[in-house]
Amino acid sequence: MSFEGELLAILPRLRRFAASLSRDRADGDDLCQAALERGLKARDQWQPGTRLDSWMYRIMRNLWIDEARSRQRAAKTFAPEEAGLTVGHAGDRDIEAHMELSDVDRAMQALPDEQREAIALVLVEGLSYKEAAQLLGIPMGTLTSRLVRGRGALLELMGEAA
Amino acid sequence: MSQIDEAMLIALVDGELDEVNRRRVERAVADDPALAERLALHRRLRDRLSGHYAPVADEPVPQRLRALVEESATVVPLARPVARWRGWAMGGAIAASLVLGLGVGRMSGSEAGPIGMRDGVMVAQGALGRALDTQLASAQEDAAIRIGLSFRRKGGGWCRSFDGAMAGVACREGEGWQVQQVLPGAGTATAYRQASSADARIMATVDALMDGAPLDASAEKAAQSGGWK
Repeated sequence: MSFEGELLAILPRLRRFAASLSRDRADGDDLCQAALERGLKARDQWQPGTRLDSWMYRIMRNLWIDEARSRQRAAKTFAPEEAGLTVGHAGDRDIEAHMELSDVDRAMQALPDEQREAIALVLVEGLSYKEAAQLLGIPMGTLTSRLVRGRGALLELMGEAA
Repeated sequence: MSQIDEAMLIALVDGELDEVNRRRVERAVADDPALAERLALHRRLRDRLSGHYAPVADEPVPQRLRALVEESATVVPLARPVARWRGWAMGGAIAASLVLGLGVGRMSGSEAGPIGMRDGVMVAQGALGRALDTQLASAQEDAAIRIGLSFRRKGGGWCRSFDGAMAGVACREGEGWQVQQVLPGAGTATAYRQASSADARIMATVDALMDGAPLDASAEKAAQSGGWK
């Protein structure tokens, strides 16, 4: 299959991964679009015969990390000091949007990035530990400990802790 | 409480335990209601999470995302280093005599038309057959028929795309070339030039047939010297 044909075939899964990383579906599709653009531009760097899905997941994840970092920097730079309670939110509109999110979206969003990406790859995308660790460039032990901590946090955030 | 830790429990849920450890955890769970409850909790969490995002992968992909990829399928190859595609669009003055040979049958004289019927399938013959047999995309400045891409077909065998009075794709069958698709080519009239080599329909055929990437100049030469076997 051609590069484009294969890309179209994995597009639904790429969208799902983007949704699980992003705040909401609209942000997810924006992330997905940015990843597609970058992947198409860098297509010559993809080795035919290797997994296109892993390659695209990695591109998407790197874009998301970059974006998350610049968002955090912006939040730190611009948040007024007295706004202690709303640090991390852009304002009322943002908080309203936040309240419309489901429990799952909200809980995922509250996770630290490194736990969230591990959870997204393994629990949502169904990657094996080995695949996920390779994709994230971390040892297996690090991945499993992130999965344990991430799950603990999710259970708590979703009010399901035993 | 057994020595089964949280990591073992979730590894079971994630299907990551080998046979021995899986049995060990399952035995421990059977003997320990608290552990069993914890396991059920983790199973529910995984189901809930994957169930929450599953609809995203099941619904149709928004058009703007599909379009990004589909447009690239027809546009990008033109800009790629494979200059052969681009070369086509500038096909230039193609021998008008070829146009007379369009379609099935024979031209006047001894020269066969470029496409004939054999056992109910279209096969390349005459000038087109010769071009497919011998012409290299890297050396065809003034040729009436221009070879576009040469590539390995899924399931084996060679295919080549061509342009001239007609544009299309032909694949090697035995000693000949079976024409898979034929459209009006860049050579027929200036107005149609853009429509052939860059034609999305030909790209789609190439994409559907091609296994891997098009041959580069040296691989093309090797395949040609080998008689497209």
